[in-house]
Amino acid sequence: MQHLGFSHKKIKIGSFDFTCCEGCQLQLANHESTLPAFLELLDIRNFREISSDRYDDYDIALVEGSISREDEIERLKTIRKNAKVLVAYGSCACFGGVNSLKNNFPLDETVREVYGDHSVDTMPVQRISNIVKVDVSIPGCPVSKEEVERIIVSIATGSMINFPKYPVCVECKQRLNTCLFDLGEICLGPITRAGCDAVCTTGKTVCLGCRGPAEDINFQSFMQLVADKKLSLGDLDEKLRFYNCFEAFRNDKN
Amino acid sequence: MIYKVIAKPEFEKFIDTLVSGETLSYGPRHVDTDKQGEPIYQFREVNTVSDIAFDYTATYSSAKHFLLPFRENLSRFTFTDDDWEQDIGYEVKPIILIGLRPYDISAINILDSVLLNGHFPSPYYLARRKNTFIIGMDHLPLPDCFSKSLNHHTVSHGFNLFCSDIGDKYYLSINSSKAYNYLKEFRVEDPSYDDDCKLIERRKLIKQSFKTDVEVTGLPSFLDIEFDSPIWTKWGDKCLNCGTCAMVCPTCYCYNIEDRPDTDLQGSSRQKQLYSCNLVDFAEVAGGHNFRPKNGDRLKYRYYHHYLGFAENANQPICVGCNRCGRACLANINPKDVINDLRMEKESCMICVSQSPDKT
Amino acid sequence: MRFTIPGQDINRERFVREIPDFHHKSEVMLTDKGYKCRITNIVSLTEQEKLFQLRILDPDERNIFRFRPGQFLMLQVPGYGEVPISISSSTSNNEQIELCIRKAGHVTNALFYAREGAHVAVRGPFGSSFPMEEMMDRNVILVAGGLGIAPLRAPLFWINDHRDRYRQVHMLYGTKEPSQMLFTYQFEEWRKINHIDLHTIVEHAPKEWKGKTGMITELFSEIAIDHDNTYAIVCGPPVMFKFVCNHLDKQGIPMNRMFVSLERRMNCGMGKCCRCMVGSTFTCVDGPVFDYWSVMNLKEAI
Repeated sequence: MQHLGFSHKKIKIGSFDFTCCEGCQLQLANHESTLPAFLELLDIRNFREISSDRYDDYDIALVEGSISREDEIERLKTIRKNAKVLVAYGSCACFGGVNSLKNNFPLDETVREVYGDHSVDTMPVQRISNIVKVDVSIPGCPVSKEEVERIIVSIATGSMINFPKYPVCVECKQRLNTCLFDLGEICLGPITRAGCDAVCTTGKTVCLGCRGPAEDINFQSFMQLVADKKLSLGDLDEKLRFYNCFEAFRNDKN
Repeated sequence: MIYKVIAKPEFEKFIDTLVSGETLSYGPRHVDTDKQGEPIYQFREVNTVSDIAFDYTATYSSAKHFLLPFRENLSRFTFTDDDWEQDIGYEVKPIILIGLRPYDISAINILDSVLLNGHFPSPYYLARRKNTFIIGMDHLPLPDCFSKSLNHHTVSHGFNLFCSDIGDKYYLSINSSKAYNYLKEFRVEDPSYDDDCKLIERRKLIKQSFKTDVEVTGLPSFLDIEFDSPIWTKWGDKCLNCGTCAMVCPTCYCYNIEDRPDTDLQGSSRQKQLYSCNLVDFAEVAGGHNFRPKNGDRLKYRYYHHYLGFAENANQPICVGCNRCGRACLANINPKDVINDLRMEKESCMICVSQSPDKT
Repeated sequence: MRFTIPGQDINRERFVREIPDFHHKSEVMLTDKGYKCRITNIVSLTEQEKLFQLRILDPDERNIFRFRPGQFLMLQVPGYGEVPISISSSTSNNEQIELCIRKAGHVTNALFYAREGAHVAVRGPFGSSFPMEEMMDRNVILVAGGLGIAPLRAPLFWINDHRDRYRQVHMLYGTKEPSQMLFTYQFEEWRKINHIDLHTIVEHAPKEWKGKTGMITELFSEIAIDHDNTYAIVCGPPVMFKFVCNHLDKQGIPMNRMFVSLERRMNCGMGKCCRCMVGSTFTCVDGPVFDYWSVMNLKEAI
């Protein structure tokens, strides 16, 4: 793609993980058919899942995971200093993710439950944008490799990065799925950002909103429909809390 | 048109022969059962006659995506050094669509008028249309179907073969030489006087079975006058902007186009994606300005397109009254209630000669 | 016994081998095939706007591409996308197409990094045009706000090419700031050679600015309008043309002699994607040029 008279440079990239399962980083190694082409776009400077080299001169830092320890804050700030573009990579980094569930309980209780009397350095889970400026957020649990490829290609070719603004319903209907509300379930598809190709609902699993809210969602109306269908608002709230993506809306309501 | 009758077992043999051949065939299938115990149907691939639910009520989604795929490559660019080549091809394999209801065939006729008979006929649609063999079947409507109000409860063209259920036989309207030739291999007869009577009875029964009527006369004028009506805000406040209505609709054809470069940067596909005017960025322009920023603006626009029509299809409504959008809408927005609301709004104004409410 | 439905391959039909001619709206053609162009020259106008000169490479395609003032084209930048751009050059220039482009979105952003010699493509021309013949032997007022001067250049060049057929020609041009004023290098030529009565104004100005400051409608005090014999062409943001047209309406110019050019999102240019609908009218097919009476009748136009 050099027809406009400029050629792309390899993207110097670093990938880092905080409190997470590293599943999003593993996604990078998926999609074998395009993997060599994908890696061709990248100059990997710091990425422990792929290479043992460690350099600090990356343009783009992919940050996976949420922040749950003091030392993570310092590490994150250093990464921010080194990176030109900092990407919140995956739902934990973007929203706090599943880890945030622990914030629903007193901290010492959660520590005791898991570690017993062993002392552990921990604090309530935060999304990384609470600590540093985030330039791009790639949501998903895990992220979609296709989408990551598209974003990397956009960066390499000087294109703008675009995410769907509409909710999962569009993609779900395009796959001719049965609406899970018709089957009596609560699905966050109508308020969650598309881009996942409705992978969960196609497998008849309700959407838990890992990609965060779509743009300009009608949260009031969504709450109303759950109530009208005589579905449990408690269940709804549990789903909304799952990835910690809908806090702004939940708080608004209260 | 040539008319024949065929006994139901013989008809099933005919369909079985058709769908077990090499041509990809799609028909109504029972895919799920909802919470109330009602079956949910979709047009899916069928390989034997037993796959097909001939007695289906209505499919959840329409059959439009066979002619207008949800995603479609319009052209391919191949990059070489500092240049590129564009390739456009219309590679389409023939398909058979079985069991389409009259409103679904009407919907395809409407798409024909927009995409083939208006300005700049779409070669992509043309390729698919020419390679689609359609077998229609009549049916007793669901209680919320209002296709009769829009005069789409019967259809006289746009199919290869249409089957009316007259008891132990189907009354066949044969509208293509292909269908005629295939049927030659089966026991079909000329309709008797009795068959004709049964067909007329059947049509009468269907006509009388409609429970929902949406008054559409004068609707374009109502819509024009009611552009600033508060009812759009009222219904817009319910709308989830989820695009479901447009996806299941048999005539919604608005779209989005984007270029998708290959990961190796050696090529790029220009992709078309069916879109919905209810989606938030439908009328957003570069730089961020949105010509329809509110839910109500977008919902209204969809009703304008559906009931006022566009010049491209001679200002005819494009809604066929199947009420798929109404059934699928999680927020309970359906054409019948919205249109009635609009009329009530207008009529109450005329009765009390009160001032129209302020713009919101 | 088995049936196989024979395929009908439309790739064998004649239109697939022919150059699409977008003037023949009702014929089947390769609707998505662009005419490949070379960017022959890029002129930086401001930080946000550049003028691109393109030449259609194939002589036959170049010959087919004939447009009227006010029409637009779809500019294809392979790998990035396609955008509607109004044609900003003279209809008599068959060698070069000029496009004045603001860096605003995905495609135009990429184009800003393009170098001379780069290959892009155009489809079109599309849409309605200003009725230049109807305006002959009358006075014409051209009013441009900001980037609105881009679509206005085509009718201006037309007038310059047929200058003796038009009476007084006024041009009023306003921008937010002096630095945003486009084509200043052509002002002298337009004034002295083409006898265009050009007036400019800016909304906000630094101290050094010697010209006028204010809203574009203030320029009307500088010109005399013979309302029975005057046509107006107004291009700019909706707020601006609303004020300007209301002003001209009060001056007595009939609404069907005022013409505006609307801008909307477009994905096809051919009345299919429905992105550019205003009320129940396609901006791409029925517009972008409308008389002001039609605009008043279009819901959600302004």
